Amino acid sequence: MNTILNRAGRNFLLRHPWQLALALLGITLGVAVVIAIDLALDSALQSFKQAERTVSGNATHRIIGGEGGLNEALYRKLRVEHGMRNLAPVLQTYLPIRQNPELKLRAIGIDPFTENAFRSGWQSGQNGAQAAIRLVTEANSAMLGRQTAEALGLTIGDELIVTTGTGDHRLHIVDLITPGSAAATEALRNIVIADISTLQEITGWFGKLSYIDTIIPETDPRTTRTRLADLLPGDVSLISIETQFESMQQMTEAFSINLSAMGLLSLLVGMFLIYNTMTFLVLQRRGLIGNLRLIGVTRRQIGRMIVTEALLLAVIGTALGTGLGLLLGQLMLQPISATVDTLYFKIDALSLSVSPLQIGKAVLLGIGATILAVIPPLREANRFSPKHALTRSQLESGTRRLTRSILLLGLLLIAVGFAVGFMSETSIQLGLASVFLLLFGFALLTPSVTLSVMSAVETLSGRQFGILGKLPPRMIGAEISRTGVAIAALMIAVAATIGMNLMIDSFRVTVEQWLNTTLQADIYVSLAGDKPARDKAAKDSQLKAAITELAEVEEVSTVLHTQVAAGGMPVKVSAFELTEASKNGFVFKQAFDAELWRAFEEQQTVIVTEPYAYHNKVKAGDTIALQTAEGLQDFKILGIYYDYSGDRGRLAMSRTQYLHYWPDLGYTGIGVYSIAGSDLNALESRLRDRLPQGLELKSNRAIFDASMQVFDETFLITETLRWLAAGIAFVGVFGALMALQFERTRQLGILRAIGMTPGQLTGLICTETGLMGLTAGLIAIPVGLLVAYVLIYIVYLRSFGWTMAFHLNSAVLIQGLLLAIFAALLAGILPAYRMARTQPADALRAE
Amino acid sequence: MTPANNFIELDGLTKNYRESGRSVTIFENLQLSVKRGELLVLLGRSGSGKSTLLNLLGGIDRPDSGHIFINGIDLTTLSEHRRTLFRRHHIGFVFQSYQLIPTLTVLENLLLPLELIRRIRLEDRDKAAALLNELELTSRLDTYPDRLSGGEQQRVSIARALIHDPLLVLADEPTGNLDLQTGQQVMSLLDKLVRQSGKTLILATHSREVMGIADHIFTIRDHALIETGD
Ligand SMILES: Nc1ncnc2c1ncn2[C@@H]1O[C@H](COP(=O)(O)OP(=O)(O)O)[C@@H](O)[C@H]1O
Ligand SMILES: [Mg+2]
Repeated sequence: MNTILNRAGRNFLLRHPWQLALALLGITLGVAVVIAIDLALDSALQSFKQAERTVSGNATHRIIGGEGGLNEALYRKLRVEHGMRNLAPVLQTYLPIRQNPELKLRAIGIDPFTENAFRSGWQSGQNGAQAAIRLVTEANSAMLGRQTAEALGLTIGDELIVTTGTGDHRLHIVDLITPGSAAATEALRNIVIADISTLQEITGWFGKLSYIDTIIPETDPRTTRTRLADLLPGDVSLISIETQFESMQQMTEAFSINLSAMGLLSLLVGMFLIYNTMTFLVLQRRGLIGNLRLIGVTRRQIGRMIVTEALLLAVIGTALGTGLGLLLGQLMLQPISATVDTLYFKIDALSLSVSPLQIGKAVLLGIGATILAVIPPLREANRFSPKHALTRSQLESGTRRLTRSILLLGLLLIAVGFAVGFMSETSIQLGLASVFLLLFGFALLTPSVTLSVMSAVETLSGRQFGILGKLPPRMIGAEISRTGVAIAALMIAVAATIGMNLMIDSFRVTVEQWLNTTLQADIYVSLAGDKPARDKAAKDSQLKAAITELAEVEEVSTVLHTQVAAGGMPVKVSAFELTEASKNGFVFKQAFDAELWRAFEEQQTVIVTEPYAYHNKVKAGDTIALQTAEGLQDFKILGIYYDYSGDRGRLAMSRTQYLHYWPDLGYTGIGVYSIAGSDLNALESRLRDRLPQGLELKSNRAIFDASMQVFDETFLITETLRWLAAGIAFVGVFGALMALQFERTRQLGILRAIGMTPGQLTGLICTETGLMGLTAGLIAIPVGLLVAYVLIYIVYLRSFGWTMAFHLNSAVLIQGLLLAIFAALLAGILPAYRMARTQPADALRAE
Repeated sequence: MTPANNFIELDGLTKNYRESGRSVTIFENLQLSVKRGELLVLLGRSGSGKSTLLNLLGGIDRPDSGHIFINGIDLTTLSEHRRTLFRRHHIGFVFQSYQLIPTLTVLENLLLPLELIRRIRLEDRDKAAALLNELELTSRLDTYPDRLSGGEQQRVSIARALIHDPLLVLADEPTGNLDLQTGQQVMSLLDKLVRQSGKTLILATHSREVMGIADHIFTIRDHALIETGD
């Protein structure tokens, strides 16, 4: 009995391969996108952690200074004077290599006599520490990971030619490291290891270290920690490596949450596909189900049959989705880590890491979403009475009653959405939840709104086009349970698109305006060279003098971007030498006058960027305690200025103030202001001739363009994902409309029989789907605007701390409307084409 | 080539269906002549091809070979579009399962064939109202079809088949879904209305009760049409 029952169901399914394929596509794509985003994001972070762990081995804590590096004397003091053990000094930099100019190797300078307790990557290699000893005894010697060496076509005995601020240097390869594990091999890719003094010599960082790793035993952490911390100068911090990872992960949190939201949007839309297919399959089978009930099959058995089908779909779809997700994840790894790279920190070696937890999560999501989507059609199936299968219109009159309850639920969700939005305070998740609630709430309003719109259209078009004009709106209204869902799905996709587009557009305009204001100089010189290099400051100031002397140059401004410490964590700081003109480049959140600029120059003060103020919850008038060699120093915040160059924020202080407490690390950039009327091209080429090689010159136009390019690249993933979600939605709407027309074959056959030409029928179908698109588009416009508002004023503000000016681009709204209509029209063409080729007699025979 | 006095002329009509790769012959080389105003009854077992023949005559299906002349026009040589226009003007269909448009009211269902021909005028509404009056449906003008009984639906469908003054009415087992009494009522209405207006009627059925009103009776048997005497 049961197997025959299942066969009856299965045979039916197999007769509708397209609907099956669509449902599978829905689950597959939804799950795939969720997995891919999750994997790529996680792998990017894991790759970073793995590389750090491999390099630092068992180290638990790290002693760090500013970007000028640590004084080597500190290391000697700790080890010799205070007899501290388990200290691993490290010098780290990135070296461009001659053999492959595209590639920068991460160069790590180590002390080969470091205790084995660290078991870092280079120690656990084949020859381990013994080989490392050769780094000391042989001049300019280095070790490479085997993989890297092979990729570069190098082997033991060959030379690696690297370029530094002091010129080209030859490094003699004395050994290849072959770490024990695959993960370590991966992590040691693109790494070159040398003795600290070798690296100091070729980079010019004499007497400098990047950091000192240390192992603080778990048995007595407090005492050891305090003792060590007490020995460190004020501008040096002792941080736990775990904390450092955590704070880096936190940096990317907003970015991660926003991407994951895109994944969920895809799944939501995918759910619609499943819902649609299951509803179609149940409605199509109302006859079969009625008959089965008649011969004594119970509701429960029917329910089990439908749930079994759905689960089967879910399992296949989730399996396919997981496979596709792994593939997509691999594809997204590169762009996602590139964005993390631009916005947050550098990731050297990238590899996809998959945990069973992630797969489990995706499987749960895929199957859970399917079960959720199958509940409404399941309830529908149970309404079919055994005596007679309900007719379509009987089903629909029930649906109309349901529409009212759905309307109320929608209004409720919208209210909750607003409430969550207003009460979400600083939570990004709640902000996004509010977006989802609003989208979903408005989606639930769609059927009611559609019915009203259709009765209005009917009155208008009926007057104009008679009964034929009444048909399309009537048909939409009559099958609102199907049409409403399709319109709602299309509306969600288009509203999300409009919202995102408006947000990105507003953001773009804001950044453009900001760049236009902030780029005050005519030409910018960016200075290369490692900051710890001994002669950098002197060279930079000679360069500045040389530029100032040029006849066409009126004045110059300078900036040094570096890091100082506050509360044991690094903080980005810009030290400015400003000209009157460059002061105009700052736009403050509140009025900022010449008095304040004077305080900026003369007193112990800072100005902070908007994201800094947002993330650290500070306002003008507050003070920030910064770590200096002379202990903690309070800096008063004079004002908050707009800055869109990074989302973690930075402080700015005058160079004079900076030099009170911190070492001169030269400049990062020099802004050149020309004398009015001078030829900028001539100036640029004169600068080029005068200046040492390796300096970069950029006109403010070029910087503007480059910045906008970075902006666009940053949004590339978001946009790709958005189009993916829109694509899934489109497939869904397409499937729903196709199913609808398919169910209607006989009715269309009658119209043909009483004399409607294929052309008229095409017109009718396309008018119907076009009307559906129009309705979706019209609802999507206000909803899209609302989504944009929430994204701009709640989600993005919270994620990144940026204020954006809402820029209402009406082209985006029109595009959204056209997109909706176009998508719906396109979905009407195939059924129309099919109907035009079907003989009416055959259509009339269709059930 | 057609005799002018014959309103319908079938010439060598053959129809096959392709069924799981195999070709099944429904009828072969049919010949038939019908004069204008005649009532012709088509008998045959279920599955013998009555509906198929009516569909061919109405131009909603195409034969594999042969010719169908109606009023001197060869349907088989017309394009899909022309055939549709011909049907729109000259053919009225009555189906076994009524086949009304569920989203249109009774009146709208009735007016739709007219509207396909021309813009609805006031007198068209009067005409529709008169027709519905004759069919005792006046009170159901603005009702949707699914609220009507089978007999009422079939009467609406008869009205729809006649509203645009077609030359030929094709009725495919119009009483097949109705009880005996309602069926007889519908049949007599159909007979009356069609005869009144001098239209030609071809009626497929497998009940022999209507034979009394027929001018000719044909039976489809063994892929051929056989005239049965009364
Ligand atoms: N589209 C079709 N494809 C295949 N076979 C068909 C099709 N339409 C009808 N048939 C077959 O043709 C035969 C005649 O059908 P039909 O004309 O409906 O018979 P009747 O109306 O006399 O009961 C039947 O055997 C039916 O199964
Ligand atoms: Mg039949």
